[in-house]
Amino acid sequence: MNSFQSIAVLSTILLLFTAALTPSRLDAQAADSARVAELERRLDAITRELERMDLGGDVVRADTAMLGLGPAASKVYRVERGVSIGGYGEGLYEDYASEREDGSPATSTDQFDALRVIIYVGYKFNDRILFNSEIEVEHADEIFLEFAYIDYLINDDVGVRGGILLAPMGLVNELHEPPIFLGSERPLTENRIIPTTWRENGVGLFGGNDAVSWRVYVMNSLNGMSFSDSGLRGGRQKGSRALAEDFGVAGRLDYTGVLGLNVGASAYTGETAHNAMFGGEEVGGRVTIWDLHADYRARGWDLRALVAGASVDDVAELNQMIGLTGAEGIGTAMLGWYLQAGYDVLRGSTLEDQLLPYVRFEKVNTQREVATGFAADPANDVTITSLGAAWKPVPEVVLKADYQLWSNAAETATNQWNVSLGWLF
Amino acid sequence: MLAASLIAALALPADVNAQLTQDQALQLAFGSADVERRTAFLDESDLEDARALAGPRAGIDRGVVSYYVASDGGSPVGVAYFDAHRVRTLQEVLMIVVDPRGRVARVETVSFREPPEYEAPEGWLAQFLDRPLDDELSLRGAIAPMTGATLTANAVTEAVRRTLALHEIIDPFDARQESSNR
Repeated sequence: MNSFQSIAVLSTILLLFTAALTPSRLDAQAADSARVAELERRLDAITRELERMDLGGDVVRADTAMLGLGPAASKVYRVERGVSIGGYGEGLYEDYASEREDGSPATSTDQFDALRVIIYVGYKFNDRILFNSEIEVEHADEIFLEFAYIDYLINDDVGVRGGILLAPMGLVNELHEPPIFLGSERPLTENRIIPTTWRENGVGLFGGNDAVSWRVYVMNSLNGMSFSDSGLRGGRQKGSRALAEDFGVAGRLDYTGVLGLNVGASAYTGETAHNAMFGGEEVGGRVTIWDLHADYRARGWDLRALVAGASVDDVAELNQMIGLTGAEGIGTAMLGWYLQAGYDVLRGSTLEDQLLPYVRFEKVNTQREVATGFAADPANDVTITSLGAAWKPVPEVVLKADYQLWSNAAETATNQWNVSLGWLF
Repeated sequence: MLAASLIAALALPADVNAQLTQDQALQLAFGSADVERRTAFLDESDLEDARALAGPRAGIDRGVVSYYVASDGGSPVGVAYFDAHRVRTLQEVLMIVVDPRGRVARVETVSFREPPEYEAPEGWLAQFLDRPLDDELSLRGAIAPMTGATLTANAVTEAVRRTLALHEIIDPFDARQESSNR
């Protein structure tokens, strides 16, 4: 066999071998490709399922019309219902000086109080109707319903609210979780004149947009028969079998168009005697409360200013019906204000902690004016300077300590140390 | 008259805090641009790097991250990530769009199950726009807190930090990850 013949034979064998093997190799390659494609399909399906589980079935869903509505109108029906639970709380230790400012022995006793523990519970029936509530245990042995209402959202900007409502007044009454305000104790102005936490049964409208927010409620009025020389706080009915012969109107308007800044005003007016008779005539006892406030929190600063006033009509009659005499009488005019500033000195550090030294200066007088025939108690003309610091290891937990220098026109005030631990979740 | 107006308002179909689907959110973000779904598979080293970038509260623990790359005529437009997180008890889903420079181009609330009063308004979300991942991207930095919604403000800020950190690790315009058309 010559070389030509040899090459011819080898070529023939190679061709036959190739012809014999190629279909199976191609088949194998095709099978591999199909297997890879199937694995890719399965992987894609798994990652989509992971995404659906992560984001929720109402988000990862193709747009389809529901109940005869177009996709946009049917969005509301996709909302998953659910109970939302949150809460906050605070404990407070108060250590009083042994002497009053006039040098006489102090009568205040040091106190360590489980001040309040709160559970928020909310339920969303759909995206227009929801329930929200705050159940509070105060001083470890008192239970209150601080609010419990149903919201009906008419559209993006307006809603209707009914139930036990927080009066939309001041800065602290509606927003009183300890980590979001400075001071171991709430400002006295928002205790005696705006009687925080002030809640009553009522109904109202609320709304807003990026630039403004507003609320207007009609609520059962305060009970004027429980006012005192130290302010309106005793008049709260707290939603419990509330006298409802008189109703009041409360409203607020806030400008929130600058990020971090909230500037606004609120007002309330309503008669408070609930058809009580004195000397054969019905007593009105109208109370009008107002406040102007500003709050700025940004770039480490926490700044607040508030001024609040109140006037009470028919005070002479209320005093006599209650049995108050002399300097015990209810003030016909009240005024309080405070300025507060804090700054996070750890803002520039790499620590997650926040440390805010703060100062608050406050003046409150719940008997700025009194009824004819009654006197003002100078002890109700109060000035408080608070110096302290708040440490937040995380934004939701705060430890506050401050020293309060109290003085009053009677020189009977007592300074105090406060330490509080607060949280929200 | 007032009663009639109120009844008419109540009868209107509400668009209150409308929930968006992913498709609707992507349409809002990218319009007619081409959108490609991809998935990144991150190992523990990648996750560690992302955590270091995002910070201690960002909570990055998921190694499978799906995202949506938009391009127009072959040029990258942006990348959309969907971040689900808890606000109080219930979940919020945000779409966070990152532009080709690695800065925030859009933050959109896709789903919010808590009471609406805690939802971040558009004006507040707008302060994230054009921000890169740096120390100023925090509530102690350039981001102003939200009055009355502390937990939402924390959750949104951490979601944006988490997303920008993942974006930096994933590097979506380097298309080595698994992909599929949406």
